[in-house]
Amino acid sequence: MKFSNPKIPEGINTSPDHPLKEFAWLLGSVSLLIITVISVLGLMAEFLAARIPFSYEMELAGRFTETTPDPSPARDYLQDIADRLAAAQDLPGDMKITVHYADDEVANAFATLGGHVVIYRGLLEKMKSENALAMVLSHEIAHIKHRHPVVALGRGVAVGIALGALTGVSANVVADRVIGNAGTLTALGFSRSQESEADATALSALVTVYGHANGSTDVFRTFMEIGRSQPLNPPEFLSTHPNPENRIESIAEQIADHDWQPIGTLTPIPTAVIELLEID
Amino acid sequence: MYIDLIVVVILLILGYGFGRHAERRHYQSIIRREKEMQGMLTFSTKMPPQDLRISNARLVGGNVVISVDYFKRFVSGLRGLIGGRMKTYETLLDRARREAILRMKAEAQELGAGMIFNVKMETASISKGAKDAIGSVEVYAYGTAITLASR
Repeated sequence: MKFSNPKIPEGINTSPDHPLKEFAWLLGSVSLLIITVISVLGLMAEFLAARIPFSYEMELAGRFTETTPDPSPARDYLQDIADRLAAAQDLPGDMKITVHYADDEVANAFATLGGHVVIYRGLLEKMKSENALAMVLSHEIAHIKHRHPVVALGRGVAVGIALGALTGVSANVVADRVIGNAGTLTALGFSRSQESEADATALSALVTVYGHANGSTDVFRTFMEIGRSQPLNPPEFLSTHPNPENRIESIAEQIADHDWQPIGTLTPIPTAVIELLEID
Repeated sequence: MYIDLIVVVILLILGYGFGRHAERRHYQSIIRREKEMQGMLTFSTKMPPQDLRISNARLVGGNVVISVDYFKRFVSGLRGLIGGRMKTYETLLDRARREAILRMKAEAQELGAGMIFNVKMETASISKGAKDAIGSVEVYAYGTAITLASR
């Protein structure tokens, strides 16, 4: 018997592939996996969230924040318009709209959990007529009617939990953080289709209340102009309500389709409210 | 959020750069020393052949611990999600095994032995079970060094 130690060829126990190639391949496929899982979970969560009773949504919103609005003449005025629009939108019986007036120069408005709509002074100041203001309010009420805030929340929680599971953060911590943020009367991100769904409902209610559709696109025009004049500092409103051009177009189409009256007398904002804004 | 991401990317680049450099140098050293010690024969058979005239037999061993770099660990984490060959760890273990054998051979050489029989290896993970710890691998190679009797 002959004993010997032949030279062992290099690379029989390792693979010749470049590590960066493996890294790129793995990163790509894992990202694809994560995106798929998150979108499926997101869709499932949206589907389920829309079926959460509104009363529970209100409870959820109330758990994290003071939901009674500060009384002010401006708020009473906004609430009055909102009530008329809510009636025109035929909201389900248990759905109650609460308008909050935020004395802040931010030019924005948003709808959030529990039927709360927030209108900032900055937005109110830029409205040329009650009709334009009513379109904004109607749009935010439509978000609530279609349960968009709770759907956005459900999506946020699902995505957060999925990411948490991958990065090793406890699911409860993620869910708490997402729900906690949503509860504090902040803007939730809505999808493009949700925005146009809200626009359509809003317009129909506006026509019911005022008898014509005049002023319905004013808010988009106003903010487009402001956005153009100060491109470095675009108004908040444009970031929460994107694509004003397309929306003006689809509103015009909807008016034509339904044979609604595109022109009519604009209702002015009461002088008492304007005076109040000037004092602030 | 972004800070975390930047930290991860920097760690990945550092891990890749240093890890790759260390690995290349280590392989160069391994190949050179293996050539030098080609004469020290090592076998896994338990018993040396009957006709060998042995004057001395002693236990020799070589031990090595190598750490995983951040890049390898990150890639293995991704690999752990979808399965398959852990290519980044293959070179790590290959290096550790060969280094351990080389150290064992060096010890035998110092003793003036001619060959090593009954060579065995033990592999252990240093940070077994410890969460978020960069893992290290330990390989211990050992065998019986034999000195042949001069006639």
